[in-house]
Amino acid sequence: MDKTTPTQAPTPRDYKSDIKPIWCPGCGDVAVLNAITKALAFLEMPREQAALITGIGCSSRIAAYTSLYGFHGLHGRALALAAGLKAARQDLTVLVAGGDGDGLSIGGNHFIHACRRNMDLTYVLMDNEVYGMTKGQASPTTAADWTHGKLTPGGSGIRPLPPASLALTAGATFIARGFTGDPNGLARILVEAIQHPGFAFVQALSPCPTFRPEQMEWKRHVRGFEPEATSDPLEAARRIQADDGMSTGIIYRSDYPAFRPGGGDGAAAGSLESMESELRI
Amino acid sequence: MKLSAQMTDLDTFLAYSVALEEEAAERHDELADMMEVHNNPEVAETFRKLARYSRLHAREIRDRSQGAELPKIAPWDFGWETMEGPETADIGDMNYLMNTAQALHVAMGNEQRAHDFYSAISTESPDPEVRAVAAEFADEEQEHLALLEQWLSRVPQEGNETVFDPDPPNMPE
Repeated sequence: MDKTTPTQAPTPRDYKSDIKPIWCPGCGDVAVLNAITKALAFLEMPREQAALITGIGCSSRIAAYTSLYGFHGLHGRALALAAGLKAARQDLTVLVAGGDGDGLSIGGNHFIHACRRNMDLTYVLMDNEVYGMTKGQASPTTAADWTHGKLTPGGSGIRPLPPASLALTAGATFIARGFTGDPNGLARILVEAIQHPGFAFVQALSPCPTFRPEQMEWKRHVRGFEPEATSDPLEAARRIQADDGMSTGIIYRSDYPAFRPGGGDGAAAGSLESMESELRI
Repeated sequence: MKLSAQMTDLDTFLAYSVALEEEAAERHDELADMMEVHNNPEVAETFRKLARYSRLHAREIRDRSQGAELPKIAPWDFGWETMEGPETADIGDMNYLMNTAQALHVAMGNEQRAHDFYSAISTESPDPEVRAVAAEFADEEQEHLALLEQWLSRVPQEGNETVFDPDPPNMPE
């Protein structure tokens, strides 16, 4: 990585790498990349001060398409990797991204405990309600009656997991939903998520034009939450339950203190010296 | 209040114009990249050329501002009346099998929206200088539309029929 931070205000392009995305034309994940780079440019984030950690899947390729430090890790383990990085380098801004299968199935347990732990991470769940990289199987967020998956021709018959509800129940302190058809709106949400001192969960509705072409109609159904952001978990639960999953905006924000391993003084919790001191008998 | 009526000074208008063109250029480059990796070099080259034109126009607008410090506006504060800038192609309209004629139709839609944006400002801005410059930009967009129509007339008109792909990405294995 070129570690030089430009002297003039950075542009979104400064946060993109030279690697061309292999996402299908029409894929919402392109807009997530744009929203992330716009948010970072707005924040004038030094590239060497941020990292993007991802799992496995179409969406998880996003780390390679940015000029940040990145780690394209094991399936479902992006949050575990990110937590380790944040513990060792609390000065870094750590972003995490992945798909609905990576984050809620293979990595479901990590998601619950990342919410509960409330470390200062920003997690973008790029939700297209399908496993795309493996050619279109039902994921944890797929509707029970989706019949186009080859493994589930009669539908999975299993109710989808509601990501925002799960995040709220598990203790996330910032919960939002954006839509890739509105990358500027998603960028605004990401700015606030990155600035939030705790675990920020952003569900990005990201249509898959190849395996879920009907999702290209989402742009006709998406709308904003009115009003945005409550700090009352009961009100947040009511809003999430009353919604059809197509409302966007910041749903919930709480000032519950973030977990900072090692006391939160900015010191590297994972330094050899600190580990030795903790293990000393 | 309509966006066109909020263009009360030239610097703000130019900041919007630069953003409109730069965002369009960026999207065209993204589309060119995607078409290249999906082995559609002809359409990739079309989008690459469109990106160059948008960048050229953005540079001309910047030159026009004569070094003035244009206001910095957050992407979400532009308040575009479309989800993105009016000249930005909708990613959702793309398909890896699209042909040059279809790509040019998309581009013409973008230019038409940009023309309409400037045209509305040319009549609705309260500032006479902004109205005059917006009218000039609207004429330029009209010229771009005419050029795209000429370009379209020179390429094969395959229509909207589906191109056969012997190994589509959604083929079950």
